[in-house]
Amino acid sequence: MAALLAVRDVVTAYGKIEALRGVSLEVQEGSITCLLGPNGAGKTTLMFTAAGILRPRSGSIQFAGKDITSRPPHAIVAAGIALVPENRLVFPNLSVQENLRAGAYQRGDGMEIEADIERLFHRFPRLRERASQNAGTLSGGEQQMLAVARALMSRPKMLLMDEPSLGLAPLVVEEIFRIITELHRDGTTIFLVEQNAHMALKVAQHFYLIEQGKVTFSGDPGSLAEDEVISRAYLGSARQ
Amino acid sequence: MDDYTIGVLTNIGLFAFVALSAYLLLITGEMSFGQQAFFGVGAYAGGILTAIYGLPLPLAALVAMAFGALAAFLVGLPTLRLKGLYFAMATLAAAEMARILFELFHFQVEIDGELTGPDGTQGFRGIRWVFENGIEPAEYVALVYALLLVVLIAFLLVERSRLGAVLRSLGEDPELAASVGINVSRMKLGVAAVAGGLAALGGVLYAHHNTYIEPRNFDIMLGVHSLAYALIGGLGTALGPLLGVALDVGLLDGSRIFGGARMIAFGGLVAVLLIFRPRGLLDESVVHWFRTQAWRRT
Amino acid sequence: MLVDLLQNTLDGVAIGASYALLAIGFTLIFGVLRRMNLSYGPAIMLGCYAATWTHLEFQAGLLALALVAVGATVLAGAYVERLCFAPHRRGSAIAAMVGSFAIWMQLEEVATLALPRHIYPFPVLVEAAPLQFGGLFLPRDAIVSIGATLAACLLLHCLLYRSRFGIAVRAAIDNPMAASLAGINLSSVFVRVFALASAIGGVAGYLIVATHGQVTPMLGMWSTLKGLLAMMLGGLGSLPGAVIGGLALGILESHSQWFLGPQARDLVAYLLLFALLAARPAWMTRWTTTRSAS
Repeated sequence: MAALLAVRDVVTAYGKIEALRGVSLEVQEGSITCLLGPNGAGKTTLMFTAAGILRPRSGSIQFAGKDITSRPPHAIVAAGIALVPENRLVFPNLSVQENLRAGAYQRGDGMEIEADIERLFHRFPRLRERASQNAGTLSGGEQQMLAVARALMSRPKMLLMDEPSLGLAPLVVEEIFRIITELHRDGTTIFLVEQNAHMALKVAQHFYLIEQGKVTFSGDPGSLAEDEVISRAYLGSARQ
Repeated sequence: MDDYTIGVLTNIGLFAFVALSAYLLLITGEMSFGQQAFFGVGAYAGGILTAIYGLPLPLAALVAMAFGALAAFLVGLPTLRLKGLYFAMATLAAAEMARILFELFHFQVEIDGELTGPDGTQGFRGIRWVFENGIEPAEYVALVYALLLVVLIAFLLVERSRLGAVLRSLGEDPELAASVGINVSRMKLGVAAVAGGLAALGGVLYAHHNTYIEPRNFDIMLGVHSLAYALIGGLGTALGPLLGVALDVGLLDGSRIFGGARMIAFGGLVAVLLIFRPRGLLDESVVHWFRTQAWRRT
Repeated sequence: MLVDLLQNTLDGVAIGASYALLAIGFTLIFGVLRRMNLSYGPAIMLGCYAATWTHLEFQAGLLALALVAVGATVLAGAYVERLCFAPHRRGSAIAAMVGSFAIWMQLEEVATLALPRHIYPFPVLVEAAPLQFGGLFLPRDAIVSIGATLAACLLLHCLLYRSRFGIAVRAAIDNPMAASLAGINLSSVFVRVFALASAIGGVAGYLIVATHGQVTPMLGMWSTLKGLLAMMLGGLGSLPGAVIGGLALGILESHSQWFLGPQARDLVAYLLLFALLAARPAWMTRWTTTRSAS
């Protein structure tokens, strides 16, 4: 099966500090692929590079056969990728509905947008309850739902998710992962960055380990003993 | 050297003081629209001290600098904790208040049968200490530049010292500075006071060069210009603001190439320049390059 | 005494309406681009000068002059945006600001070269006598100013809260990064917001010169100062705050001038701003606390 997202030797730097030192990986279409690694390894940097927030110094990123390296974020959304960023980043002074409409900004099909909003409210009933409330008043879990729903409004082929379980209660985390599984079943490709390696490995078909800006392992959840994966995901390998 | 050139050179030197004043605050991360107020305080204080109280210029200058530093301290005390634009607006408000107070300030004394002293919007005439003591324009410009040189040397020495690194850290990463035990607010207040004194020194020299000052001389235009000189010349070194002043006052005013369209040319040039060098001509990377070259040759 | 108080307040509201428009323009640019545009006043001045020139050359009617003023301001604003703000979008706010100051100088010189005199007459909005009721005078052009400001605020509200563009603008104000992740083209939003702010500024400038019946080269600096003051007094960054700040400034100035004279008028306004900033009450810094980190 062709790779939907192909990242090749990407180097991204902040000034003199290289956060990604030549990262290569692939996300297969229709899969849930997971990126694990300790803090500061470059996970969020890779997400931002793929989403167009950061420009790589070198390397390339291909999506569905097209080169999306260095394209601006709105062009990447147009290409079919949506990022649910770390820390949610909802629009606090816009209502829940307006947040969703913002996610559909590039679409011109008004009726379908309304239909999508209806579908998302069905999937996330708590958002329906709070439809006209400002997003800033929602709880952490609700904001996470909203961030996912907003990303889905652009009908992406691939959803990037950066630490969706961060700061959320265990019950809420389970709900998030249930939604991830549902989305996968409905055909969306998901590329997931997670600190919660345990939950992530339960849903992923393939995972990568990133340490200090480079990919150090690639495999499926059975190929490495789970506790080794988890310890490397949190602490990095002993070589550090 | 003809009188006109001497005049241009003197102006460059004088405005360099207020540009350096703005630069000093910019380095520590504060954008001030109000340094012209301290320039004015120095001018008025120095003028009053020599013209009315008969003090010699050097002494008057020292006292005027003290006034400038004090004024800057008082303005800085409630405002330095404000962020970015809030601080800028507070300095703007303070400076405009100062200018209006100059407009309302009447203090005239009869000296040798003539009314001398600030007369509100009519200005302050007769600041003639320089002429009464037989100092030629050429000597005065030398004095201005001698003082400027002392100031520049002080800046350059500080920049290479630990104090200089600390000051720059205030601008680049104040949280980091605070976390290593630097009292950020006290340092910024100290810097503000020094910047005020520096601008005031320029003011005294300005008043005695022109012999006449009026509140209009110390308006927002001077303040924003000072900020612009500092940024355009470059934030990497104290020579930056001097370069900025020299470019504006010297090149365009002095050479008159562009005639009445001087600002059209200069304004456009500056905007374009900033696109390519947002931290000015002599920014940190250029200065770093110079220093490594010098190192390589030794 | 009461009549004086009411009259001053009325006069204050009349001029405050224009201040409110100026403040709205500054706030739009600051809120969305997070930058100070020091060329805002000068662009307005250029717009009014263009209208003055049109009046001198063609004796055009009031509506045509208004269109010229707004159009020229929008053009000048677009020039400023491309040269001073677009290049520094991901970079330094100070560089953008100093660049806009440099262009301030440029625009003022263009205007004064085209029309070199210190003062030019400008057709007055309404020639008729002021309305009188109960001892109070309400000049008719004040009615036009207040009406135009109300209309502009209403239009702006509809634009921001009932249109797709409005969602993009408010999203960009809330969180620019999240907005681009949602597919919003920030550059395009910035250009359009700039044009909107310039248009509003053009209206403000036109109202001011048509009320005073004259145009002077001080208009650029004056508009910038008043707009900034009004914006800050109303609590930096909120649009309702801009309106309140503008009206408050107008009323404050009117009363200060009456009781204390023209110099006191400006002094009181600056003193109030300085005191507010020094004391920093919660509503003044609301801007930085309700927006999410970006």
